Amino acid sequence: MTPMGTPASFRRDLRVTSETKNLSVVRDFVSECATRSALPRTEMNKVILAVDEAVSNIMRHGYRGGPGEIELVVEADPKRIAITILDSGTKFDPDRVQDPDMGEHIRQGRKSGLGIFLMRQIMDEVSYSFREGVRNQLRLVKYLGPGGAEA
Amino acid sequence: MPKFQITTQKVGNNVTLVNVQGFLDAHTFEEMETTITGLFNEKQFRLVVDLSKVDYISSAGAGVFIGAIGTAQENRGSIILMKPTANVKEVFDLLGLSQLFQFADDVDSAIKIFQ
Repeated sequence: MTPMGTPASFRRDLRVTSETKNLSVVRDFVSECATRSALPRTEMNKVILAVDEAVSNIMRHGYRGGPGEIELVVEADPKRIAITILDSGTKFDPDRVQDPDMGEHIRQGRKSGLGIFLMRQIMDEVSYSFREGVRNQLRLVKYLGPGGAEA
Repeated sequence: MPKFQITTQKVGNNVTLVNVQGFLDAHTFEEMETTITGLFNEKQFRLVVDLSKVDYISSAGAGVFIGAIGTAQENRGSIILMKPTANVKEVFDLLGLSQLFQFADDVDSAIKIFQ
């Protein structure tokens, strides 16, 4: 049993099929994990959003609206919450996407391409890895100390 | 999960109030997009979107308004966002959209923005 006042260290995972109706399942799962972790309440909605954006991108671009499976692994300890998202869709490296010019987005009527920007805004680390024949792996980390990444 | 619902009503001065309820995400944004496209087809370009019952929005949801506001403005209208919840407003802030959209606290003040 975790002593009073000490945030739990834990690992949990979830598998969902690549269907947008499952986004609410993903959000509920991350919400439960975030509540159990030491993540401040003020950051919770943002971390849920970052994961939603990552999973939405996989559903839309990785699996292109087709069938597929997405696995989420949440690892939390007193210093960080890390969410690893695994899929077998088309590889997609977020590092290759530049931050948007929002004024230009509006002028051009562009509706997409904002998810990665949000992930970078919210999380302290966004890292991607891909190996041929193996799954895509996107890792999102939020540090829990007052200094964020410097904690 | 709250059911996603959209209703529209004319509120005067050629303004249409769009009431939205539920989660506006990659699962529901197309319904929002279809509603706005339908209003544009009816030459309704002055839209007030009541976000007070939207518990959650992702970039897919915000993208509907980003994609549509230009068309509204080109036709002497706009999209005014009314009473976003704190969670929703935070997403607009993160996207840098709070300076690019106008917000209103109630229908009357939203209508006045169009005058």
